[in-house]
Amino acid sequence: MPVAIALHGVSAGYKGPVLRDINLEVGNEVVAIVGRSGSGKTTLLRLIAGLLEPTSGTVDLLGVAPAIARRRKRIGFVPQDARLHPWRTVRENVTLPLEVNRAARTNGHVSPDEWVARMGLSDAIDAYPHQLSGGMRQRVALARSLVIDPEVLLMDEPLASLDELTRDDLRGELLRLWEGQARSVVYVTHDIEEAVLLADRVVVIGGRPAAVRGEVRISLARPRTKAMRREPLFYNLVEAVRKHLE
Amino acid sequence: MTARRTFVDLAVALVAIAGIALVLEVWTRVMSVPSYLLPAPSAVGARMAADAGLLAREGGVTLSEAAAGFVLGTSVAFVLATVMASSRPLERTLFPLAILVKLTPIVAIAPLFTLWFGFGTAPKVAIAALITFFPMLVNSFVGLRSADLQEVAFLETLGASGREIFRHLRVPSALPYLFSGARISLNLALIGAVIGEWTGADRGLGRVIFVANANLDLTILFGAVLVLAAIGIAANAFVGAAERRLLHWHPIAVAT
Repeated sequence: MPVAIALHGVSAGYKGPVLRDINLEVGNEVVAIVGRSGSGKTTLLRLIAGLLEPTSGTVDLLGVAPAIARRRKRIGFVPQDARLHPWRTVRENVTLPLEVNRAARTNGHVSPDEWVARMGLSDAIDAYPHQLSGGMRQRVALARSLVIDPEVLLMDEPLASLDELTRDDLRGELLRLWEGQARSVVYVTHDIEEAVLLADRVVVIGGRPAAVRGEVRISLARPRTKAMRREPLFYNLVEAVRKHLE
Repeated sequence: MTARRTFVDLAVALVAIAGIALVLEVWTRVMSVPSYLLPAPSAVGARMAADAGLLAREGGVTLSEAAAGFVLGTSVAFVLATVMASSRPLERTLFPLAILVKLTPIVAIAPLFTLWFGFGTAPKVAIAALITFFPMLVNSFVGLRSADLQEVAFLETLGASGREIFRHLRVPSALPYLFSGARISLNLALIGAVIGEWTGADRGLGRVIFVANANLDLTILFGAVLVLAAIGIAANAFVGAAERRLLHWHPIAVAT
């Protein structure tokens, strides 16, 4: 499996150290990063996206430095509780990534309107963000991150600010999305069950500064369904992840 | 809906003004207040009708000075705010200078401006620009810094340039702040122009007020003040209309 994201001996921080000696390789798979609140999960994502320079170690994205991958427009990013651009309609928000950094290869083979439709938002395509629910806004955030057809998708607790039912719907949506197309996905969450349901591997980080505590390979078959959460294997995997967290 | 609300607002304001005028009218007549202390509203009205041409001409002069000063002051403020918002060291260097400008008493330097720039429109425009500068600077600066950090990060991961982030995110994010700055600055610009005219001019409402004051000609003085107020109200309504149009996506605009 080709390696899309590679971190070797990476330490990073802001005023004090936040991450210590992180080694992580991600191929065409979904890797969930799980840790307690404030453990440095978002910092790890910023490192991979090249928004933060490591104090030591190297970060490689698709064989180049993250800053270069960024300029080539290879990265999709979904923040927690996306505000979107409130002065743009849903359609205009989804086309925004095609309007910036035009020098880079721009469009994927799926049109913005088609992405909006896939997210079930066709009826709201001309609506403004303040007219949408939190769940709908996150769907728009997902659509606009995918419109450039990125090789690498980085998601920072994208469902954390939603209610449980909406969250469940969107998990189903994500599973459908990932079955269809092989991508490298780094999915940050503090929800262990969510991580096990969505990911091929769960990496647990913890400590201060945070290091990799352990890793659990998720042997649940694909395609995944929400019904798998009732299988004994699912419980065992959740327990395995929880053990690393404690 | 909005048209009807505007109409109601306007009607309420007119009734209030008419009420105040009525009280003053009765009071000045019953108490026989001499017109060099407080002219009856009817006398002011008659004088405004008689001198409508003069008031319109001089009002136009004041309005154009204020508008030129407003455009100059707010433009410079916005450019400077952009520079300050893009660099912490420049912010620390420029902000004390801006405060110096803010703290300089306009009344104290207005005569100086007349000395430097003469009796024409230049010193009035300069004073109006100076007085509008600071509120616009602070509002622009805070507005440009108010962009959502996650959205900045999103654009950065797309390889967007600083200029693109400025255009697509920072400027629209700053718009609500720019409008509140403009509302404050507009009225200040009018005051600035009048102060400028007061300290030396042959045109403008400030000049009319100055001369009227010297002659105890209070009907034209109040007339000029009312014209000035009307210009201010119209300018505010203009900004309000622009704001509703450009900020239709903003929660505050939606709420009103």
